[in-house]
Amino acid sequence: MLNVLIAGVGGQGSVLASRILAQAALAKGWHVRTAETIGMAQRGGSVLGHVRMGNDGEQVHAPLVSRGTADCIIALEPGEGLRALEYLSATGLMVVPTTGIPSIMTNLAGSEYDVAAILQELRRRAANVAVIDAQSIVEQVGNPKVLNVAMLAAAVHLSNVRGCGLRGCITLSELEEALAASVKPRFLELNKQACAAAVASCDS
Amino acid sequence: MPKKLLMGNAAFAHAALAAGVRVVAGYPGTPSSELVETVAALHASGAAQDVHVEWSTNEKAALELLAGASMAGARCLFTCKQVGLNVASDPLMSLNYVGIKGGLVLFVADDPGPISSQTEQDTRRFASFAKVPVLDPSSPEEGFEMMGYAFELSERHGTPVIIRPTTRINHASAFFDVPDSYQARALPPEGFQRDSKWIIFPRRAYQAHGEINERLPRMAQEFSETPFNPCERTGDGAVRGIVAGGVSTAYVRDALSSMELPAYRFLHVGTPYPFPTAAVRDFLNGLDEVIVFEELDHVLEDELLKLAGAQHLDVRVHGKLDGTTLARGENSTEDCRARLASFFGVEDAAAAAAAAGEGGTAVEPPVRPPVLCAGCPHRGSFYAVKKALHKQPAVLCGDIGCYTLGNAKPLDAIDTCLCMGAGLTMAQGFHVAEPGRKCVAFIGDSTFFASGLTGVANAVYNQHDVTFVVLDNSTTAMTGSQPHPGTGATLMGGQSAPLDIEAVLSALGVGLVVKANAFDVDEAVSAAATAIDFAGPSAVIFTGPCIQLVRPDASVTVDEQACTGCSACIKALGCPAMSMTSVQGDPDEAQDAAPDEQVRNVARVMRVDASLCTGCRLCTSTCPFGAIKKGGAPCSTCS
Repeated sequence: MLNVLIAGVGGQGSVLASRILAQAALAKGWHVRTAETIGMAQRGGSVLGHVRMGNDGEQVHAPLVSRGTADCIIALEPGEGLRALEYLSATGLMVVPTTGIPSIMTNLAGSEYDVAAILQELRRRAANVAVIDAQSIVEQVGNPKVLNVAMLAAAVHLSNVRGCGLRGCITLSELEEALAASVKPRFLELNKQACAAAVASCDS
Repeated sequence: MPKKLLMGNAAFAHAALAAGVRVVAGYPGTPSSELVETVAALHASGAAQDVHVEWSTNEKAALELLAGASMAGARCLFTCKQVGLNVASDPLMSLNYVGIKGGLVLFVADDPGPISSQTEQDTRRFASFAKVPVLDPSSPEEGFEMMGYAFELSERHGTPVIIRPTTRINHASAFFDVPDSYQARALPPEGFQRDSKWIIFPRRAYQAHGEINERLPRMAQEFSETPFNPCERTGDGAVRGIVAGGVSTAYVRDALSSMELPAYRFLHVGTPYPFPTAAVRDFLNGLDEVIVFEELDHVLEDELLKLAGAQHLDVRVHGKLDGTTLARGENSTEDCRARLASFFGVEDAAAAAAAAGEGGTAVEPPVRPPVLCAGCPHRGSFYAVKKALHKQPAVLCGDIGCYTLGNAKPLDAIDTCLCMGAGLTMAQGFHVAEPGRKCVAFIGDSTFFASGLTGVANAVYNQHDVTFVVLDNSTTAMTGSQPHPGTGATLMGGQSAPLDIEAVLSALGVGLVVKANAFDVDEAVSAAATAIDFAGPSAVIFTGPCIQLVRPDASVTVDEQACTGCSACIKALGCPAMSMTSVQGDPDEAQDAAPDEQVRNVARVMRVDASLCTGCRLCTSTCPFGAIKKGGAPCSTCS
């Protein structure tokens, strides 16, 4: 069983990211279930997408990942990665971008959003943390909306390189095929560029 | 036929179409809305032939429309969220007595948690209250099977049938094989046939009550023989049993897969009312103890206790009532596992396995509640009303929709929220009780038509001095941008003349009705002040489209030389595109700007996230130093 969480802020595209992963799982013949946050929380609040894949031929029953069992958390925002940390297994992989989205509450309290402290806390508490320079990837591609796919590609690539997270079960080319089946044709090239930039960023 | 990844609600839509549903109507509400949207999309693409689909004005209107279509012989599907059934309860209670002709299924989504709702009410209870059968799927796949069965059941017994999934079924996705197109079942050639049974009179009601009382045990017996109440038996001589309903069944199944337990039986109850007594009696045979996992109310637990009592069974039933399982909120695999371990007297090995993130918390993630979007017109409306009221004592009644978020700081513009349409009438109650206060009620455009009109009429009739603030963003925003009578767009693809809120208010006799652009602060404050000062019922309509519907304008820019870091803008509006940023903290910036900032001694400035800002320009008026300026050309990637 592969348990994956996508942690972000409403509007970042966590639902699409979970659908792409599910599509990749289907192509491999795995049983898969996803659960998404829809409704009030989508209005700029915390959102958590669950993807559960029966990669060893298992049936997936519960749509939700249990705490302490996520093989991989794909954070689209550092603070949301930290919030989801309780779901990560002891050996799980957390991929997290460097770019934070400030919260209104932080602003109103007169304080500043300290992304560096969040990243440091993640590194302290989780064994496998990969910090992705998402800002430069997004700038390279020229569209902030591809962050979700870039982080997905980083998670797949690092899982394969490090042998943790998704444990090498999904290849980059399988991810790209799932991408082609999940996004509108006119956005495919843009998203492929995001994948390539994310992989290059991980390797640099 | 390639498999398609379908959200539970979309799968339910396909299942209903496969069952030949002809008329689909409902009112949006999370987590139910995507069913009607899926039918509408399939109809629009030509894949759902001879189907009528609509967003009705509210749930009561939807169910009454379907009652008519069903009496003519059409298979009908009603959709709403749990609190929507409260609105439709009047027709439902009587409809069960009157009966149906074409199969009538009510798809009512419950919301344990609650995640997006006012209550944790349990539609299974509503079903037994209304004496209507209810099916409770444990997965989208089972729900898919139940939908076809529900239509047959409805027609066979002449009863409405409820299917009540919960959020984790509605919004869970799985892969389905579905056909490319559907054809609605034809009406019977005779159509509607006049009959005295269609008219509810006390004498007929007495007779119908007898028919209901007779058919419920027949359905209970039938349920015992369906595949929807499967029992798994592990090992011999089991003395302990597990009962689960809804998604808790999936949690229990996952928990069991990671546990070593002595012999047990596991019953999933997919047809909670009328209770499948025969199947459950068979399950209980020889058991000493049973643990029940269900969300919301202790419906299965009550039925088990009733059965044990009626049949003098020596079995102890554990669940919500004795504190063995969670009394409220959602269940989960880990919670079920821990409680099962305790029930069976074994160790919860998985809990012992250390999760990541042990070792204490030094840094907490930022608190991140849902907020009004950057560029939301409601922000300007709330800001204007607060400015217009200034320091006058007032009570601000809110309602259901995105604008409930107006309660959050810094807008802090909502004092109450009860149910759909309640704000308008609650404000009148405040005025009666405390005439010294200004009583203002906010209502969205969709809610206005769904359940606001009677409140307006009441204020005019009884002459309550209140001000209605209609937040007209031309959509039903919170549930995902559904059209409504004020937009005129219909799910059948046609465009009717939009109902004019201003004309409706005037026609209902509201003494003063003013209209203002929500993004124009001066105009909006002046309109609000005029309405609030008016003696008698008054209304102000703030217009401005939901930002989800329109192309954003260019982001505003901040003149960092002029910004003093006072954060007046953030404290006034709380727009999520704004944040305070250290000037020295940014090495790139420090090189360019350091000399000036040292002179001005500004440590932080307000910066705008151009990817979030929609250029509504509301903030430009809040800066005492004129540092926020209108942006240039619209962003090319966003347009």
